[in-house]
Order: sequence, then C-alpha cells, then structure tokens
Amino acid sequence: MSLFQAFLIALIGYSSSIYGPWFLGLMGGWYTIGRPLIAGTIIGIILGDIQTGILIGAAIQALYIGLVTPGLSMPGDVNFAAYIGIPLAIVSGATPEYAVSLSVPLSFLGVAFVYLVVTVNVLFVHKQEQWIESGKLGLATKVPIIGNITQFIVRFFPILLANYYGAAYVSKLVNIIPESLGNIFIVLGGMLPAVGFGLLLKFIMKDNIELLYFLFGFVLIAVFKISIIPATIIALLFAYLDIKYNKSFSKEGVA
Amino acid sequence: MTANKLSKRDTFKVYINWIMYSLSCQNMERMEAPAFSRIMGLVADKLYDKEEDKQELLLRHAQFFNTEPLIGSIIPGIVLGMEEKKSCGEDIPDELISSIKTALMGPFAGIGDSLMAGTLVPILLSIALGLSKDTGSLAGPIFYVITYLGIMLPLTWFLFRKGYTAGINSAEMILGGGKKDLITRAANIVGLMVIGAISAQYVSANVGLGYTSGDMAISIAPVLDGIFPSLVPLLLTLLSWFLLDKKKMNIGWIFLIFIIISVACSVTGILVP
Repeated sequence: MSLFQAFLIALIGYSSSIYGPWFLGLMGGWYTIGRPLIAGTIIGIILGDIQTGILIGAAIQALYIGLVTPGLSMPGDVNFAAYIGIPLAIVSGATPEYAVSLSVPLSFLGVAFVYLVVTVNVLFVHKQEQWIESGKLGLATKVPIIGNITQFIVRFFPILLANYYGAAYVSKLVNIIPESLGNIFIVLGGMLPAVGFGLLLKFIMKDNIELLYFLFGFVLIAVFKISIIPATIIALLFAYLDIKYNKSFSKEGVA
Repeated sequence: MTANKLSKRDTFKVYINWIMYSLSCQNMERMEAPAFSRIMGLVADKLYDKEEDKQELLLRHAQFFNTEPLIGSIIPGIVLGMEEKKSCGEDIPDELISSIKTALMGPFAGIGDSLMAGTLVPILLSIALGLSKDTGSLAGPIFYVITYLGIMLPLTWFLFRKGYTAGINSAEMILGGGKKDLITRAANIVGLMVIGAISAQYVSANVGLGYTSGDMAISIAPVLDGIFPSLVPLLLTLLSWFLLDKKKMNIGWIFLIFIIISVACSVTGILVP
C-alpha cells in the first residue's frame, strides 16, 4: 500500500471514529462511513478493488451489526476493525476472517484509547471554563474543535502506521500501552463522571434533605435495575405528588 | 410577545454545530458540555450585549450534559428557545433551564440508543447486507447511506426545530400561568432523581480486593454488593459533591484527588477495570 493510500484511509478512519466531527458528527461519521460495510466500500475505492472491499466489509459488518454504544461502553472497537482490518485483508488477498482476526487484538487498544481520550479531554473542559471566566469567549467556543486533537492522534496515527507497515506492525502497536497504565486510565475514567455529577448536584440542589431524591434515583438503577425511562416516570410521579400535596405553594410559594 | 432575536439561519447554525461537535471533545467529567457551551457561544452576541451576560450564558451550559446527540437534538432546541426568551427579559430562572436539561437527557439517551442505534441502524444494515453479502454489489452500501441519512437528517432537524418552538412557548406558558415556582420545583425533583439514576449508570468502580485463607478465597466485591450495590460509585459521587459544595473546593483539586485515588487504588489492586 502506498503512503498516500494509507494516509487517505487514516484520514477517513479518524473522521469516522466515534468522536470525529467532520462528517456531521455521529450522523455521517460513526453511523455512516464508520459502519464496516460502508468503510469497506470506501477502502475498496481507495485501493482499487471495490468488490473485495464490500465483501470483506459485509463480513465484518455481520459481526458488529448489533453494536450499540450507550454512554461510553464499547463492546469492541469497530473503528480499528474496519480501517485496519479491511485494508490489510484486501492487500494480502486474505479472507474476511483474517480481517476479523486482525481486529481482535486491536480491540483492546481501541478501548484503552477511548478511555485515554475522554480522560485527557477533561483538561480542555477546565481550559474552556477558564477562558469563559476570563472573557475569552471566542476561544472557549472553539474548545470542541481544539479538543478533537486527542481523538485525531489516537485514531489517525495508528491507522496510518498499521496500514503502511502492514500486519507485522499491528502486534507492536498493541503493545504500545502497558497494561498497568491502561488499567489506571480505565479506573480513573470510571470514577471521573462522579465529579460532573457532584457539580450538577451543587448547582441544582438547594436543601441538603433533597439529597434523598438523588439517592432514590440512584437506588432505582443500582438496586432495582430498572432502566432510565421508567425511572423518569417515577420521578415525574414524585414531582406531581410533591406539588399536589405541598401546602406551602398556596401560601408563600417555594423560592 | 417580545421580538425574536434569532433568525431561522441562526437556529440552523446552532443545530449543525450541535450535530457536528456534540462528541468531539467528549470527556469523562462533563461529557458533552464543551459542545453545549460552544453552541450557546455561537449565538451569545445575538442574545446579549453585556459581556457578563454572555459569560454567564456560556458558564451555565458548561455543566455536565450527556444524551444520545441525534434524537436528543431536541434538547439543545428547547434550551435555545428558553435562553432566547430569557435574554428578552423574561424571568426564567437559571436553575429551571439546568433542571430541564438534566431531566430530559436521560430519557432521550434511552430513546435514542434503543430506537436509533439499537433498532433503525441494525434493520437498515441487515437489508443492506442482504443486497451485498454474496455479490459484493454496491447496492447495499448505497441503500444504507441513502435511507439512513434520508431519515436522520430531516428527523434531527425536525426534532431540533420542534424543541426550539416548544422552548419559546413553554417560557410563555410557564410565566403566563404564574406557575413558575411549581414548574421549577417539579423540574428540580425530576432532575435530582435523574442525576441519581445516571450516576448509578455512569460512575463505575470495581473493587478487586480479596484474600485467600487456606482453600477459601473471599472477595470483597460481593460482600459490598450485599450491603449496597454500587456503594463505591455512590460514595465517590457524594464525596465530589461534598468537597465542591460544602468545602467550596476548587474543581482542579478534586480532579487531582481523583487521579491520586485511581492511581493508588489501581496499583494496589483495590480497584480493577
């Protein structure tokens, strides 16, 4: 594969990753050119063998057809599977199964990268807040563009290198992140949303006793394992009852 | 009714920027907040003259926000409508806007993930696969791209516009009926419960600690789960709230504390991925 072809595949691969904004975000990116079937078509065009591209893309697509990515849980890294697995399978004349087997070791790396990105990006959030507070609103507004650099680094370069240097390079790539460091990022990544929710609580809650509502919402999910929409319906019922039976409204209102 | 400050073109700009950048600076602490702050920043000059008001607007939306961005595009629509009314001098409390955002993000994440990502996409892909699987024909990819974008582009714009109109009208409905306190209170309660619910979903900490005594291996995690499921995530969330609200601690320090906890607990094996 020529450097130029690898470059094109890496650029489109990055744009079609879950946080790539350039093709209308999730809509044209992740859910369109990010699907292995469409990726196979595009890679086939770049490498000059559309039919093989579609066939291999379809085989990988069949594996990942039910891939739903709620929040941040990533069952497998379809981005590397598509943009590294498919091109390497096409150039080596291998079967779709080969493309899938290549993507499996990359899956762990891909998931570690997701956690790395969402952890490092916290720095941009704080930068944005600083910029707003010091009146640099233009810069603050550009944070989603500037902050995408992390996603570019962890998607563009691995795809470029793997495609240009070939399958032998994939195993080297997988060993880039030592397991212990990856673990720290995953543990930290799991804990950090607590900070965001702490902030929200501070913002919305007026009275300490209202923590009970928060706790009840938590218990509904953690203990009773119901899903978010039923939990919201229960919340609506509570809000209704509170208003209906709260005598203070008629007299002084709630400030 | 006060004059509208935003043209349809402005609302389209906000919509497109939301669709593009909602996840582009996705982060564990506030998730889609940078994008929400950005789309408000794009219209800040149209809504307010004073710099302080613009700063407040952006800060208001730098708070945690996370939903499925496509079906959930109705939420930035609603918020934009409410913010426009607020900037026209209507008395809409900040916390009402925050509570409404918070109350809606969970349900729309659920609807978007299950209906769009979990139903529409797999159905369209299955049809496309049927067209291309054995032949390698272009019909499958073309079918998928046209139907998926043909449904989602108009749908997300429709939802955003509906949200925007609803946001403007709701402002009038709430204020006109003199029900502001009631609705603020209701949105607050729903918001608090939804924060609790999504904390349980998103904050995770797996306790890996255990010990072996003779043939018997005891791990701590099931014991903790027996006392209270997801106890550690709950304590972490409460800790962060306590430090922020009660100790007035700077967010940077809390971030540092969490890094130290995660390094220490990960290295010692107290917490595992």
